[in-house]
Amino acid sequence: MRALYAVFRMRFREELRYRGAVIGGVICQTFFGLILIAVYRALYDTRPQTQPLQDVVTYVWLQQGFFRMMLSFDGELTEKIRSGGIAYDLCRPLNTYAYYCTRGMAQKVTGSLLRSVPMMMIAVLLPDGWGLRAPVSAPALFCALLSLFCGLLCVCALDMISNGFTLLTLDGRGIQSLLNLLMMTFSGNILPLTLFPDRWQGVIRVLPYAQLLDAPIRIYTGSQSLSGVPAIWGLQLAWTCVLTACGLLLWNVNRKRLVLQGG
Amino acid sequence: MSYIHVSDLSKTYIVRKKKSGSFLAREKTEVKALQGMNFEAEQGELIGYIGPNGAGKSTTIKILSGILTPDSGEVTVGGVCPWKDRKRHVGRIGVVFGQRTQLWWDVPVRDSYDLLRDIYRVSRADYDSQLRRLTDVLDLEPLMNTPLRMLSLGQRMRVELAGSLLHRPELLFLDEPTIGLDAVSKLMIRDFLKQENRENGTTVMLTTHDMEDISALCSRVMVIGKGQKLYDGGLNELLSAYDTVHIMTVRYADPSVCPVLPEGCETVAEEDALKITYRPDAVPTPVLLSALQEAGTIRDLTAQPQNIDRLVADMYKEMGM
Repeated sequence: MRALYAVFRMRFREELRYRGAVIGGVICQTFFGLILIAVYRALYDTRPQTQPLQDVVTYVWLQQGFFRMMLSFDGELTEKIRSGGIAYDLCRPLNTYAYYCTRGMAQKVTGSLLRSVPMMMIAVLLPDGWGLRAPVSAPALFCALLSLFCGLLCVCALDMISNGFTLLTLDGRGIQSLLNLLMMTFSGNILPLTLFPDRWQGVIRVLPYAQLLDAPIRIYTGSQSLSGVPAIWGLQLAWTCVLTACGLLLWNVNRKRLVLQGG
Repeated sequence: MSYIHVSDLSKTYIVRKKKSGSFLAREKTEVKALQGMNFEAEQGELIGYIGPNGAGKSTTIKILSGILTPDSGEVTVGGVCPWKDRKRHVGRIGVVFGQRTQLWWDVPVRDSYDLLRDIYRVSRADYDSQLRRLTDVLDLEPLMNTPLRMLSLGQRMRVELAGSLLHRPELLFLDEPTIGLDAVSKLMIRDFLKQENRENGTTVMLTTHDMEDISALCSRVMVIGKGQKLYDGGLNELLSAYDTVHIMTVRYADPSVCPVLPEGCETVAEEDALKITYRPDAVPTPVLLSALQEAGTIRDLTAQPQNIDRLVADMYKEMGM
């Protein structure tokens, strides 16, 4: 555990070295947030929806804030698999699955925290109908955070499946762009899931992609009542278990047949 | 049983090649990287592992360090099978792949070392004393706070080497550790390895194409070719079999002197000197020397052994590689 914690810390430090990227990310995501909100405001002006506008606005800001958690792209691991640098990681007395999973998680957490905190500070100051609003209640905030953590586990397990495929194909770009597309669509990043047709929502909400951000944000805004929260946690953890099992299987099978080419 | 025990080790890679003349069809070829490799090694040995490119050196190192699973054969290192009990095995070994990097690209060297300390669960006191020793010997102090990507190749290799020894491994694998390094860095790394082996009893197994590395470091040499062991023993014994031609350069006080030499010597005039190539088994060196002395007053005389790379090339050729 100590080693995994150290890996986590290291990743954080690496992230901090690229301050320009953090500032760029904050500006970019704030900009996207404002554009999306302008689009929804235009939609609501002509055709009001059942979902209150302010909830959609809050949804957009939180989505933008934790944007980095969604994308599965560990360029360094892909590069290591391509170049054979992974050889060194296999020489460490660590479980390689846990090691890469931790790395990925650290990248998601640090990447989004560094960007979301300054961005949300800006978003809170914006007027009603444009800005981020407080959660419905303190317990809701707590439940949402816990649900965000469960969602993160779920997404990391999903990423490890794509990493397992990268071991097989040596190039992760195909599977990663596919997963990222599914993720952007079904996590509510392109269109908040609350705005999908009701019948679609029933299916999409159960998929693992919705677990990362959609579930915690619905708890945060109060569109999901607290009584239903344990069911959400259960669903998130169930996905985590299933996806981790698949990922572990894929990873171990491919690791054994891994060939490090060249001298 | 010996510390490292390798028997009947085999590994075949499948390489898919495009068929020439066909647009889509591929053919599968098998590359037998190792075919029944056998050897034993004791603790504290410093073994040089040589062979031409593609002979199976790196494959052996990868199997011994637990990265690669062989097709068949048996390996134990200190009683542990590297690929079956990988975690336990790799905790006791250190590895340096000369062409790859094990440290983190963007962060200062010191941070990478700290992370390695946590990964290998080295106690603080132990780590501090080992790091201090490595810093002194390899002259790392000025590099410690620099990110890895800003170091030169020679600096990076010193840093990598120290990184692989932080947890005091009992066995160290080096895959071409001096590749691309300048003379100063090479000498420093050789001295360091010798010291590490002598003082801490670290078993070292290194592959290289630099014969100077081998002659400076290794008491034992293994030659591998086409996946099989061809020679195992001392370097001098190996070379003496191929060291058949000697070269002697002589300068006379009077440059016009032309010595009468025994049969079997070839003479080439080079400016004011004579370069004599002879076979010591046909013309004993003392006989040649006395013939040279009789001809006139010698100003300068040098004897060169044959270039070691040439010897190894001859050897590979004769062994059919």
